[in-house]
Amino acid sequence: MIVFLQSVLSGVLIGGVYALVGIGLTIIFGVMRVINFAHGELVMIGMYLTWIIFTGLAIDPFVSILISIPAMFAVGALIQKTLINRVLGALPENQILLTVGLGLVLSNLVMLFFTSDYRILTTSYSSSTLRLAGLSVSTPLAISFAITSAITALLYWFLLKTDTGQGIRATAQDRDAAQLMGINVKRMSLLAFGIGAALAGTAGALISPTYYIFPQVGGVFTLKAFVIVVLGGMGSVLGATLGGVIIGVTESLAAVYISAGMKELFVYVLFLIVLLFRPAGLLGRSRV
Amino acid sequence: MAIRVNDLPRALTRSRRSTLFSFAAVAAVALVLLLVPRAVQSPYLLHVMILFFLAVSMGESWNVIGGYTGQYSLGHAAYFGTGAYTTLMLLQYRHIAPWWGAWAAVGAALVVALVIGSICFRLRGPYFTLASIAVAEIIRLIALNWKPVTNGAEGILLMDIPPLKIGGMLVTDWLSKAPFYYIGLVLALVTLLVNYLVGRSKLGYCFQAIREDQDAAHSLGINPAFYKNVALAISAVFTALTGAFYGLYIGFIDPHTVLGIDLSVEMVLICIIGGIGTNLGPVVGALVLVPLSEALRANLLARLLFSAGLLDETSRAGAFLKENLAHAHVLIYGILVVLVILFMPDGVLGFAKKLLARRSPGRVPSPSPGAVLGGPDANP
Amino acid sequence: MQILEIRHLFKFFGGLAANADVSFSVEKGMIMGLIGPNGSGKTTLFNCITGYYPPSKGEVVFKGQRLHGLQPDRVCKLGMARTWQKVRPLAKLNVLDNVMVGALARTNSLKVARQAAMEQLELVRMAHRAAMLAGGLSIGERNKLEVSRGLATRPELLLLDEVMGGLNPAESDEIIQLILEIKARGFTQIVIEHDMKAIMRISDRIVCLNTGEKLAEGSPQEIVHNPDVITAYLGDAQVA
Repeated sequence: MIVFLQSVLSGVLIGGVYALVGIGLTIIFGVMRVINFAHGELVMIGMYLTWIIFTGLAIDPFVSILISIPAMFAVGALIQKTLINRVLGALPENQILLTVGLGLVLSNLVMLFFTSDYRILTTSYSSSTLRLAGLSVSTPLAISFAITSAITALLYWFLLKTDTGQGIRATAQDRDAAQLMGINVKRMSLLAFGIGAALAGTAGALISPTYYIFPQVGGVFTLKAFVIVVLGGMGSVLGATLGGVIIGVTESLAAVYISAGMKELFVYVLFLIVLLFRPAGLLGRSRV
Repeated sequence: MAIRVNDLPRALTRSRRSTLFSFAAVAAVALVLLLVPRAVQSPYLLHVMILFFLAVSMGESWNVIGGYTGQYSLGHAAYFGTGAYTTLMLLQYRHIAPWWGAWAAVGAALVVALVIGSICFRLRGPYFTLASIAVAEIIRLIALNWKPVTNGAEGILLMDIPPLKIGGMLVTDWLSKAPFYYIGLVLALVTLLVNYLVGRSKLGYCFQAIREDQDAAHSLGINPAFYKNVALAISAVFTALTGAFYGLYIGFIDPHTVLGIDLSVEMVLICIIGGIGTNLGPVVGALVLVPLSEALRANLLARLLFSAGLLDETSRAGAFLKENLAHAHVLIYGILVVLVILFMPDGVLGFAKKLLARRSPGRVPSPSPGAVLGGPDANP
Repeated sequence: MQILEIRHLFKFFGGLAANADVSFSVEKGMIMGLIGPNGSGKTTLFNCITGYYPPSKGEVVFKGQRLHGLQPDRVCKLGMARTWQKVRPLAKLNVLDNVMVGALARTNSLKVARQAAMEQLELVRMAHRAAMLAGGLSIGERNKLEVSRGLATRPELLLLDEVMGGLNPAESDEIIQLILEIKARGFTQIVIEHDMKAIMRISDRIVCLNTGEKLAEGSPQEIVHNPDVITAYLGDAQVA
């Protein structure tokens, strides 16, 4: 029983980080109807950014998000402006291929400059644990969950309470109508991709103390982000939050009870099951 | 023939003449290619040609489902890997000759295609693409973790291939390139022929109707699920054969090289660079990609920069490029995808056609005034 | 002789009834007009008849056979063809190939299909466009392409969904002539149309839907004088 609770707890904690990745993807999809196949690579860039800041400037990974959030926002906005914007009206297949290509470019550029060696970011607290109601929790995971929750709360507030946030939601709901209502749709798209990239980068920063850092790490995150987003319903932020936690717990349980090597397999199987039986997601209404 | 040729509009007969021409051109090229190993002694050149045939076969196989039927599978490594693993495992562990093993590979790929098709074809568009990636990843993870059967991440290193008797000829020398050259050439021609035949049959019409508008096709008596599965089966069979050929030629396979997503992307890339949905597109794509990646491997680009005096070989940047550019072919693939999608979404062939049309506008029927309201570009 | 009978057909989307208790029958060889204000459930009814939606309740009987659960391709093979309100040309195929796709529902031979397709194109006077990409056609031509593609599947019943939408008077007139010509060849047709004058001219009988229910049925004369229809259409019909 302890083992079960233990793995559920660590699943929830890592699920919070997954949720960030998923929320970013879902916001981009919502506003532009573009599925960003390079999303995991943005997580990867976030990880390397954190690693550089840590090894070069000796800034703690959790503090470094103050630098990486604006930096990743800029990267996202740049990608939107130079690439995504040009294919908004193109065939969805071409949009997919463009972002797939972008992902290849990002991961291989990083490989070019940093080689494909695995990097580890070791902090003083990397392997320390906290005791919590009889369960032990990895300290970096606990901190990252706290930060994740704060950021998610902030994001909800932004989307629900600010004019800009409502503009993004309106654009996601109906792009044409939003445009007619005088919302600057182009600016919303730029913001959406920027926020999506910033969230992905933050997730990368938050997991960097506990994950191996290597150029190909993004692929797994792209697929996980899809699973999360499809699970929660394409375009739903609340759904992505929930989806992230579900994936985190599934993975953690599969790793403990079945095999660590097979945990991703279960994520994909879950993904297919959801695609087939709840294509609109767990929370979403069914779309014709 | 029921309709006399001069009943048909002139543009139609013209397109017929041009296919006849390209048919003759392909035949002539094939004939020349058949003679190459007699004239060329360089194993490296033959190796590059074999890689070219592999790329053509991969692209042409993908084209049946992706190009003709419009189902953008990004999980075709699943069939490639299934073909390679089945053939090599049978040869290595059961001593079954690959020309029999290849049939088993075809069977296995059909089973995989049937399973994938029944799951993924309930989904459309990007959802199908996502599902195809997920299924391919599942298969890769199984191959990685099912060590007793697949030898896991270590992969399979092929020991030797038994002699093959064709007619009166006995092929024993599997270390030389020539036998693989001929097999590769035949495979490439067969996949090209398959595409041609699909295009000239009811199947091709049904596939393309589904690609253009699945609902409209459905109302015209086409069962989309059935025809998509047929397209996938054809595509999977030839992808698996290509995979088997690859495994035998290279002599080593592991889950990453024959089941990874990079490979799936490469198949799509070959088609999109040449022009998706055209028979010769994958050939053009292979003509661009294979020499390019070989040039990178041989560090031609860096050498070119040095010899042109643009870069000093001993400088830091020079040393960096010299060391790393050789491994950067996937990076170049990525850049190519992005550039092609942005600047020539119809591939090299489509781009060339557009250029030709611009030069002699009379050759193409001019669009009617109504086309302004919603041409093919305006309403994808 | 009845070719199609719709019995107490309901179609719900969520809690919303897009069709509610619709019943009528169509005689062989006639043109049945289907009218109603926007959102009255005409296209939904077409989708139920042709197999795109399974009806929530009730049934569709075609040539004595219940269609329940049959997919659109089976319905087509049974002898029913349709056009789409928002036209669906196979944009990257040429016009002849578009019609050939329809003809291939009845044959496996490309040669036979090509000839049948040319005949259909001549019927709609589009033979000169055979080699052109369907995506490049004008709206009027696209509508005619839809009709000829449907006819190429050799249907007994043809369902036309606003084939005069967006056309100028001359083009509409051409389509009206075409519909009458198709009738003369013995086909049965159900025609959804907004243009009241046109529908009065061509229909033998008219069904009027309103908010998913059948409001009235009768000859064009009866319909045009039916007070309920006039109320439902006030504005819409008068202008047209």
